[in-house]
Parts: sequence; structure tokens; C-alpha cells
Amino acid sequence: MKTYLGIDVGSVTTKFAVLDENNELVTNIYLPTQGKPIEMVQQGLKQIKQQLSNGADICGVATTGSARYLAGVIVGADLVKNEITSQAVAALQYIPQVQTVIEIGGQDSKIIIIRDGIVTDFGMNTVCAAGTGSFLDHQALRLNMNIEELSRRALDSQTPVRIAGRCTVFAESDMVHKQQMGHRTEDILYGLCQALVRNYLNNVGMGKDIQPPIVFQGGVAFNQAIVKALREELNNEIIVPPHHEVMGAIGAALLVHEEMVNSQNGSKFKGFEVSEIKYHTSSFECKACPNLCEIAQLSINGQVLAQWGGRCDLWERSQSR
Amino acid sequence: MIRIGIPRALLYYQYYPMWKTFFQELGAEVVLSSPTTQTMLSSGASRVVADTCLPVKVFCGHVLSLVKECDYIFIPAIRSVQRRVYNCAKFLGLPDMTKAVIPESPPILDIDIDVNKGKRVLYQAIYKLGRHFTWDPLKVRRASIAAWQAHLNYRELMSSHSLTPPQAIEKMLGSSEVEPKTHSSHSTSTQGTIAIIGHPYLLYDEHINHRLIHRLEQAGNKVLTPEMLTTEELESAIVKLVGRAYWTYEEEVVGAGGHYLESRIGGVIGIMAFGCGPDSLMMDVVRRQAARLNTTPFMSLTLEEHTAEAGVVTRLEAFLDMIYRRKRKQVEVCV
Repeated sequence: MKTYLGIDVGSVTTKFAVLDENNELVTNIYLPTQGKPIEMVQQGLKQIKQQLSNGADICGVATTGSARYLAGVIVGADLVKNEITSQAVAALQYIPQVQTVIEIGGQDSKIIIIRDGIVTDFGMNTVCAAGTGSFLDHQALRLNMNIEELSRRALDSQTPVRIAGRCTVFAESDMVHKQQMGHRTEDILYGLCQALVRNYLNNVGMGKDIQPPIVFQGGVAFNQAIVKALREELNNEIIVPPHHEVMGAIGAALLVHEEMVNSQNGSKFKGFEVSEIKYHTSSFECKACPNLCEIAQLSINGQVLAQWGGRCDLWERSQSR
Repeated sequence: MIRIGIPRALLYYQYYPMWKTFFQELGAEVVLSSPTTQTMLSSGASRVVADTCLPVKVFCGHVLSLVKECDYIFIPAIRSVQRRVYNCAKFLGLPDMTKAVIPESPPILDIDIDVNKGKRVLYQAIYKLGRHFTWDPLKVRRASIAAWQAHLNYRELMSSHSLTPPQAIEKMLGSSEVEPKTHSSHSTSTQGTIAIIGHPYLLYDEHINHRLIHRLEQAGNKVLTPEMLTTEELESAIVKLVGRAYWTYEEEVVGAGGHYLESRIGGVIGIMAFGCGPDSLMMDVVRRQAARLNTTPFMSLTLEEHTAEAGVVTRLEAFLDMIYRRKRKQVEVCV
């Protein structure tokens, strides 16, 4: 069986998806990145190897997400693609009439506007991560509950309170204030979900023409309270596709499938053995000019595999290899 | 010989050939600061008040790098170059602000350019600047005519030969003025044509825009910029979109944006500085026009000193993908 592997290495979670030749999902894996992208890619590959039957042959690998270049070097990717294109392609595969894709992940959030099957506009959050999964995680932690409990209890809210969601710092002080005033925890939690949705729509969604069908992807789509808040705010049905949390990886796999069929080349995939290799990462300050760029390098047994992080091409030679 | 320092920032990109000619005609030597580096940006940012915009922080960094290199620093206060058109307050107060935040600076040569006050006042201002070098008013007059001619040549070179300001400056004044271009490997196949719009101090400062033009060219695109358009083209786009310009240099954003959105190219990218009031108003005009026309993809990028390279790269990649996939779909439909 010919299969295609998509790897999405995000800031908070690492996702894997394997598709067969008919673009059906064979298997998928969802792991916390825990600040160790290389180890997680290796661990994910190990798990995939166990799950795939012996006849399965990886005919193409694509990486996406914020660590896409790093992951690409490690696995020998045939395609390195940005998250926006990957998410859009995956959404179109499952809901071909989709006009709006809302994607909220751990540290970033995106909106993609699609018309007649092509992306016409997109937006991404800037440096601020208010309105993403980490924001909710942080608040859940502060209230000493896990994120599932937050989601469940928020749905029990009768009269949600208004929380300022522009900034996590303000949201937190607002929540503390509402607690001390004696509001119910459930109402505060749902107020927080509404604040996140408002913040998302005002920042990322500003000026975008949001039309149904609206698809909601990314890890935060697990949270039913957020889905409800989005539905209320947009006054439209919100479609959460079955594998919403691995859509980026699915999109990458779809794209590499297309690429491999077009190019007729063999895959550059280094095989599942890469999960056993010991990678070494280090960094140094380049002294070639006053910019003093921090160059990160990836090596095996002292042999440099890739270097990047510079403002010029001086160190990035290995990437083009 | 008197050495005049000129910071390679802000209005340098618009007027450098003119300024250099003027001072050279008057027998002075011009010292240009080197291209922006991280050290300059950090040193500039550490001097100004917190809410100052990125281009002004860069400017102060350039001034600091010139402190021991010259006898005077030339910092004009450009109030208005067209009647009833206004400039940002940070440009109006540039000489005074620099004096306040960089007290160790060599004496600042400033000149008030305000065409609202009439030609007479303008000529007096030029003469006052020239008096630092000569008492002969005719010599100042000759220098200013030569400077103006250099400026016209510069503009003509950019619009008729489709050159960017750094390329035109290199052509006019020799290669020592611009940083050496490491990339000569222009891709042979042109994927598409992308126009970038915004102020030159954002478009051509490779440090603060993370080598935007280079990245676009590497991906096989032909890059168009506001300076490649004629004054008439820019003005007619402004008339169409906003009637008449309110801000000085509005043509670089609204004029170029309006023109390129209707010129059947792959896409338009607007570059603006975080915290810039005029930019946020002007870019919104372009964004609305892009939505109204709905023919040419448009994206705006906001730059500040915390802008991560990854953010710029991801957006650029996604924008280019969007254009290629759209093009491919159109081809499929035609076949």
C-alpha cells in the first residue's frame, strides 16, 4: 500500500497523519511538543511504524508548522509547507464548499477565507497569543482544573459574565475581580470563552468576510464551550471536522501526495530509522558582521546537517542540499 | 574639508542624490552611515521614548553611528512638499528630537522645508543652509540647481528603468554607496509579479524587513515598487481613491497601491510600521479597495523590532501559495 505522511510540528503539539492513495486517513498521532520538537518527531515516527502494517510504504513526507524546516531536515521531507496552505487544503478535502476556516492552535490562530475552492485571503495573529489555546490553558491552571473540566463547566453557565479578553493580563485581573464579587465559576469560565472568541474575531478576523460554511480546526476545537461561543458570536453553524486537531498534518500529506504524483520522483524520506539517531543541536553567534546573528545548528556525530537563523545566506547552505 | 553626516534612514531613500550633490557642490564631503544593523537598531531604540515608531528608532541608531565620523549631521525638517499636504509630526520635529535624545551629536544642520509658506521662504531656507559653507549666494544657488537636477535624474532613472532606490543610487553615484548585493542568481523563470507598497525606509531597509525583496525574488517573482511609477500614475490613483492626498508621501501607499491593484499583476503586499498613525489610515484605504475590486490578492505586513523572521516568512509563503494555486485553478478552468 502506498502511503503519504504529513507531520505538523507546532509550538504546543506535534501531529502526524498517514494517508493512503485514496487520501483516506490510515492513522494519526497527536503528541505534546513539550519544547522538544526533535524528540517528538522521533517518538511519533516510532509509533507510526508500530501502527502501520508491513505492506505500507511511505511514498512521500511533508512537514508543516512552526518547526517545519527543522522537522524537514530530520525526516528528509519531500515538501516543506506553511501552515496556512496545509490547513486550507485539508479543510477543502473534507468540506469542499467551505468558505471560512477558523484555526485556533496552542500559540497561534489563523483565519482563511476560501471562495470557489481557492484561498482568497488569510490572517494570522501577531506576537500576541491572547485568544489561543495557551491562554485558556493558563487560566485553567490558575483555577486548578484541567482544560476538559473548564470546557465542561463553562457549558453549564446560565448568565455569563463579561471578561476583558484583549490581553491575558487584563483578563486575569478581571476574572479575579469577578470571583471576589461572588460570581459563579461556570459563568466566569464561559465569559472567558466568549472573551477569547471576541478577541480572535477582532484581531485575526478583523476586516475578513466570514461566510458559511465555517469550519473550525485546531486543538482548541475540542473545547465545546468555545464552539458554542463562536456559534453565538457569528450566528452561524460551526462545523468541527472529525480529525480537526490533525488537519495541518493531513493537509501536508495531501500536498505531498499531489507533489509526488506530479514530479514522479522517489521520496527523500530517510526511513523510520531516524527515530534511533542521536541528534545534537547547538548554536553560536556569527561574528561576520555587526548583526551578530544567532545561528542554530543540527548535527549527527559532529557532522553538521543544517544551520539557520542568519540574516544572510552565509550559513544556510545545507538547507538547499 | 567639512564632513557632513547623512543617516541612511527615513528620507535618505527619497533624497540622497539631491542632498549629496548640494553638499558636494559647496565643497563638503558627505559621510553616509552603513546599512542598518542590529547594533544600530538597539542603540537607537534605547534612546527614544517608548512609543516612537520603528523607523525613527532606526534613524537614531544611524545618527549614533555617525557621531564620531563627521563634523555636522544633516537632518532636514520636512513639513510639506506639496500645498495643503501634511507630514507626520515625527518628521517635523526630527532635528529637535534628535538633539534632545542624542546630546553628544555633532551640530545638526537643519532646514525647514515648507512649500505652504511660498517660494521666497523656501529659497531663504536653502540660502541659510548654504551659508554654513559660503557667503556667496550665487554659489548656493548653483548648488541648489545642481541638486534639484540630480533629484529629477534620480526619479527619472527609477521610473523609466524600473529601478529601486538602492539600485538607482548605485547607478548614479557608484557602487560604494550601497551594500554589495550577494544575490546575483536571479531565477530565470518568472513565477509571477508582486508589487510591494509602502515607504522606502521600510521597503529597502533589509534589516527591518527581513530581506523581503530578496525573498520574493528567490521565489522567482518579479518585484515592482512605488518608485517605478511616474508621478502622473501615482497621482491619478490617489485622485481615484481619496480625491486628494492629505499626508506627505501618501503616493507611496495609496497611489502605488491603487495603481498596482488594477494593473493585472499577481499580488500586492503593503508594508507598514507598527505604531504609525498615517500608515494605518492609508493602508486601510488600499485594503478596502482590494476588497472592493476583488481581483488582485492583497496582504499587509506590519514591521516592528520584535517582528520575528518566521512570521514574515510564513505569511509570504502562504501569500505566494495563494497566488500560484489561484493561477493554476484558473488555467485548469480554461483548459
